Amino acid sequence: MSCFRHHSGAAVVLGAMCLLVGCSKPAPEQAPPPAAPPYHPVASIREVMNSVIDPNVDVVWNAVKTVIDHGKPTEHAPANDEEWAAVRHSAMTVSEGANLLMMPGRAVAPPGAGSLSPGIELAPDQVRALIDKSPGGWNQFARALQDSLQPAIAAIDKKDAQALFEAGDKIDEVCESCHQVFWYPASGASASAVPASAPAPAR
Amino acid sequence: MKTKLFLLLLAVGAFCAVQPAQAHHAFAAEYDPMKPVTLNGIVTRMEWANPHGWIFMDTKESDGKVKHWTIETAAPSQLSRHGLKKADFTDGMTAVVKGYQGKNDPGLANGRTLVLKDGRSFYIGSVGGPNDGAEPQ
Repeated sequence: MSCFRHHSGAAVVLGAMCLLVGCSKPAPEQAPPPAAPPYHPVASIREVMNSVIDPNVDVVWNAVKTVIDHGKPTEHAPANDEEWAAVRHSAMTVSEGANLLMMPGRAVAPPGAGSLSPGIELAPDQVRALIDKSPGGWNQFARALQDSLQPAIAAIDKKDAQALFEAGDKIDEVCESCHQVFWYPASGASASAVPASAPAPAR
Repeated sequence: MKTKLFLLLLAVGAFCAVQPAQAHHAFAAEYDPMKPVTLNGIVTRMEWANPHGWIFMDTKESDGKVKHWTIETAAPSQLSRHGLKKADFTDGMTAVVKGYQGKNDPGLANGRTLVLKDGRSFYIGSVGGPNDGAEPQ
């Protein structure tokens, strides 16, 4: 009986030692270098704006409006499920398109392209410099664009034309604010206009 | 020569292709702050739409010809904030718009103020316009 106790005590000690050895941290190793991102930006920011953001946000904006022709108002709004679905498609495209704007490594404009309005709109390398100076601010505006689409999508899901119209105004505010900071700073805004709560840069 | 013409047309086409008609641009990109205009005419149409409203106005030129103007305004929410209503746009209404002419389109203008026949005046300027005192403080 005592022999059993003696052996069982030794087994407990041996087991504890094994556990200690097994649970101890392995020798520190060099952290592997960060893997290259799996994505590959192809289009420039200008092309994303022209091909993804702008045509689709126009669909959201144009979905609800009033045309007053010689004093006679005509209300325009999606009239059936298919038309609401088309607007939702565009709203969702802009919302996700904002992520494309935040992806690091995307050129501002195609190689060799200049300002579309020299002297007014900054040249692509100047826009790049502003983005690099305030990448968090850039991301903040892109996120604000994404966030501004959420009330629009909620309005679309409720088929609430008035709410969609009001959401369109908020989307415009975000667009104008960003353009004035990064493309047309001479018109008054500056990078300091970017909220301090900007998220950390993606790069 | 034909090759040069073809390349020129190709370049113009490519430029136009990346500039949607409704694309967002700064005031200074589209309008000339050195070309102020005062338009006195008949409002034929108003588009109460985002991101900008559009007033369509016919004015009579000195030679008697009618000129059609397309006038950009602020977003509808801004117009409402300044007191303008959709119901203010009636059939045959006359109005005076002060603003700035387009750089490339002589029939395009950016409106700053709209004065109705009854004397009411509204600020209709969009974001980024010149600091000309039109905007109420």
